[in-house]
Amino acid sequence: MVRLKEHPILDFPPGREVAFTFNGKEIRGVEGEPIAAALHAAGVRVLRHSPVLGRARGFFCAIGTCSSCLMTVDGVPNVRVCTEPLTQGMVIETQKGHGHLPID
Amino acid sequence: MSRNSADVVVIGGGVVGCAVAFELAQRGCTNVVLLERNTLASGSSGRCGAGVRQQFGTELNCVLAREAVRIFEKMDERLDYQPSVEFRQSGYLMLAYSDHQWEQFQRNVALERSLDIDVKTLTPRQTLDIVPFLNIDGMVGATFCQEDGHANPFHTTFAYARAARRLGVEILTHTEVCGIEVENDQIKSVVTDRGVIATSTVVNCAGAYSGKVAAMAGIDLPVWGERHQILITEPVEPIMGPMVISFHHDFYCQQVPHGSFIMGIGMPGEPKGYSIHSSVDFLEGMAVTLRQLLPPVAQLRVVRQWAGLYDRSPDAQPILGECPPVERFFNANGFSGHGFMLSPIVGVIMAELVTTGRSSIDISKLDAGRFARGELVLEPTVVG
Repeated sequence: MVRLKEHPILDFPPGREVAFTFNGKEIRGVEGEPIAAALHAAGVRVLRHSPVLGRARGFFCAIGTCSSCLMTVDGVPNVRVCTEPLTQGMVIETQKGHGHLPID
Repeated sequence: MSRNSADVVVIGGGVVGCAVAFELAQRGCTNVVLLERNTLASGSSGRCGAGVRQQFGTELNCVLAREAVRIFEKMDERLDYQPSVEFRQSGYLMLAYSDHQWEQFQRNVALERSLDIDVKTLTPRQTLDIVPFLNIDGMVGATFCQEDGHANPFHTTFAYARAARRLGVEILTHTEVCGIEVENDQIKSVVTDRGVIATSTVVNCAGAYSGKVAAMAGIDLPVWGERHQILITEPVEPIMGPMVISFHHDFYCQQVPHGSFIMGIGMPGEPKGYSIHSSVDFLEGMAVTLRQLLPPVAQLRVVRQWAGLYDRSPDAQPILGECPPVERFFNANGFSGHGFMLSPIVGVIMAELVTTGRSSIDISKLDAGRFARGELVLEPTVVG
């Protein structure tokens, strides 16, 4: 567990613990924290693979800019999990290639 | 500048200029200088939707497009280009939303088939076999040609430029044409901001700026700029093959090989001019139309929006050929949105005209003199 509890400037108010799944495996995180933070705390280091060469990509810019953390969240591809808040029951999946657009 | 004289000066480093330069060199005319004010494909070529279709309403447009497609099909080998110009024959699906339009489409199909262009007519329901998530409300019918498609406009331009250079053509970027010296209706030289090139022959491939270039030679050429906007989405795995196009909605949309969707709509009342700014109106109009016609695609995020210029002519048809009274001043412009798709065959035709005075396809109807004669070429099947 790498979750900070104390910080000289930032506060970490106690949040509600929620359950979500990562590639089918159940994980717990704190409601409202970035999905990437919950994944990182759970030891997930590879968030996606580059579409052309298939190289591992991890938590990088952490501010929604770099495309390193694009994942499929509740069926929606290319979600930037570093800025997307975690909610109860979310289904998080690593993407195949560029991700699949849902078409019903 | 290494040359101060050339047999032919090509003005404009877009796909048309580069194709003309290559085809000239291919015919042994290698003492050619191509002048480009900015970088290759920095104007309309690099900004276009890059669709390639053969479905038109006039015989000449069908023939030109068909021959262009035949060249695109073998372009990588012909120009010895790696990696690829990315020509994909994923088809054009053209949607009709009124009986009047449907009748026109059926006339087009009869014409296209008579010219060996393989086009199918489809009921609205049958279009769902090609694009399952298309909203068919209000659609009367559609036509589909599998051999139509899309290529990468940057790679296509660079492929022609590289091949032309290998054959000895000198391509000068960041070199602006400032004047054309004409005496007794004969071209003497082209003046640039980096020196003067003596020449007898100019090919004007300056896109929307072709009217301004012609004016330097004292020619009144009715070609002007008209802004057209376009956007691209984030990429997703392939779900849509063809270019989907609706004249009723003034709309086109295609998923490119990379996975992004490229799309545009015409904006009514676009003034003549050279602005390439993006507008919020376009983004809003695009979103509304996209939601209506291809609802799932509207979920995607927009990555980039930009604009380029149509090189408009009065009848929205190309201007090809020599331009009297000035001798050996050739135009290849006025494409009005179809320059990229026609560029391979335009390169061939212009090179034939410059080197032999004749072309293998009769393009005399597309001369600049038609406007003064009142003989406009009316193509019923265009966007914008």
